[in-house]
Amino acid sequence: MAIAITLEDNNGLNSKVSSIFGRCPFFLLIDPETKKFTIHENEAKKASGGAGVQAAQWIVDQKVDAVITGNVGPKAHTVLFAASLPVYQFDGTNIENALEAYAQQKLTNLFEPNTDAHAGIR
Amino acid sequence: MVITIASGKGGTGKTTIATNLAVSLMRAGSRRSIQLVDCDVEEPNAGLFLNPVWENSKNVERLLPVFDQEKCSACEQCADICEYNAIAVVNGKVLFFKELCHACGSCVLNCPQGAIAETPEIVGKLEHGHHEKLLFSQGTLEIGFSSPVPVIRDLKKWALLPNEKETVSIIDASPGTTCPVVESLRGADAALLVTEPTPFGLHDLTLVAELVTKMDQKPIAVVINKSNDNDPIIEEFCLQKNIPILMRLPLSREIAHTYSKGQLVVDAFPQYQQQFIAYLKTSRN
Repeated sequence: MAIAITLEDNNGLNSKVSSIFGRCPFFLLIDPETKKFTIHENEAKKASGGAGVQAAQWIVDQKVDAVITGNVGPKAHTVLFAASLPVYQFDGTNIENALEAYAQQKLTNLFEPNTDAHAGIR
Repeated sequence: MVITIASGKGGTGKTTIATNLAVSLMRAGSRRSIQLVDCDVEEPNAGLFLNPVWENSKNVERLLPVFDQEKCSACEQCADICEYNAIAVVNGKVLFFKELCHACGSCVLNCPQGAIAETPEIVGKLEHGHHEKLLFSQGTLEIGFSSPVPVIRDLKKWALLPNEKETVSIIDASPGTTCPVVESLRGADAALLVTEPTPFGLHDLTLVAELVTKMDQKPIAVVINKSNDNDPIIEEFCLQKNIPILMRLPLSREIAHTYSKGQLVVDAFPQYQQQFIAYLKTSRN
């Protein structure tokens, strides 16, 4: 079991959850039971275009079972959806809270994108 | 000789200068061939002033990849090679995002299974005709496409006369200082920058002058449109950069009225024709 969470910074389990999917700075890959984790730089962050597609491809290739993020755009959603990878929407910044809400099945499963393309460019 | 007309700022009068310059040269009756090429393919409107007689046209196409899912081994090499992230491979299937594709063909070349073919897609249209003896060509970007550059590149290749002593090709560029303007300036012998005596005009004139200088330092000249006769804001800049001001078209209700009816300034006010011709003589030296 592994979950991918979008991160604002690289500060172990004290990192902040990012509301952005395709252009978030880091990804956390974590086993919610053992709490074993790794943090990876998001190579797609600097893409001139198609960051959502590139990030989603990377996540799919990591063979995770679910994704937790704030907002996911249409192209990234298409890739994750095609991979049958559920995307859960989380509004806060705390990783512990996100995992707890996930375990208690309190997070919304995004069956559709919840933001426009390019929303993460800033 | 190829002269590209650019401005940075939109609405300064590129098309007014381009059409009137081209028609003046044509009417001057020299034997050389004069042509006007409207490279503002997102909004080609020089034709509105010329009412050209169209002779022929041609589509601009790009080649998009088509994936044969039967032959595909889902190796992801196409997704890896794609510089624009237009391809993803999940669950053994290729997902293609057409709007991200730049039609570079890298995926086709790199597919070890030979599972990617190409199919043409129309991205624009080129048209060629004439107004009296003036040759006129224009490109039009298809609605829904974001990159004008391939249309401009094809238009120049298709329409530009061989750059010889006897020919004058005037290229009407789009506003701004981005890729379409770079493509319109490429290969030109001189750049004619049209500006207006306002802080906005100066701001964008500065940008486009810098662009030309960085590209290849071709000769630059300025035309001040909507001139007040004294235009210190532009004059100061041109003096400092050593750029000649070749012509001024006055801020005039009559000229604006002529423009609004889609008429040429030189038709309504033939006295300007000499100024346009004089410009060409200066620029040849």
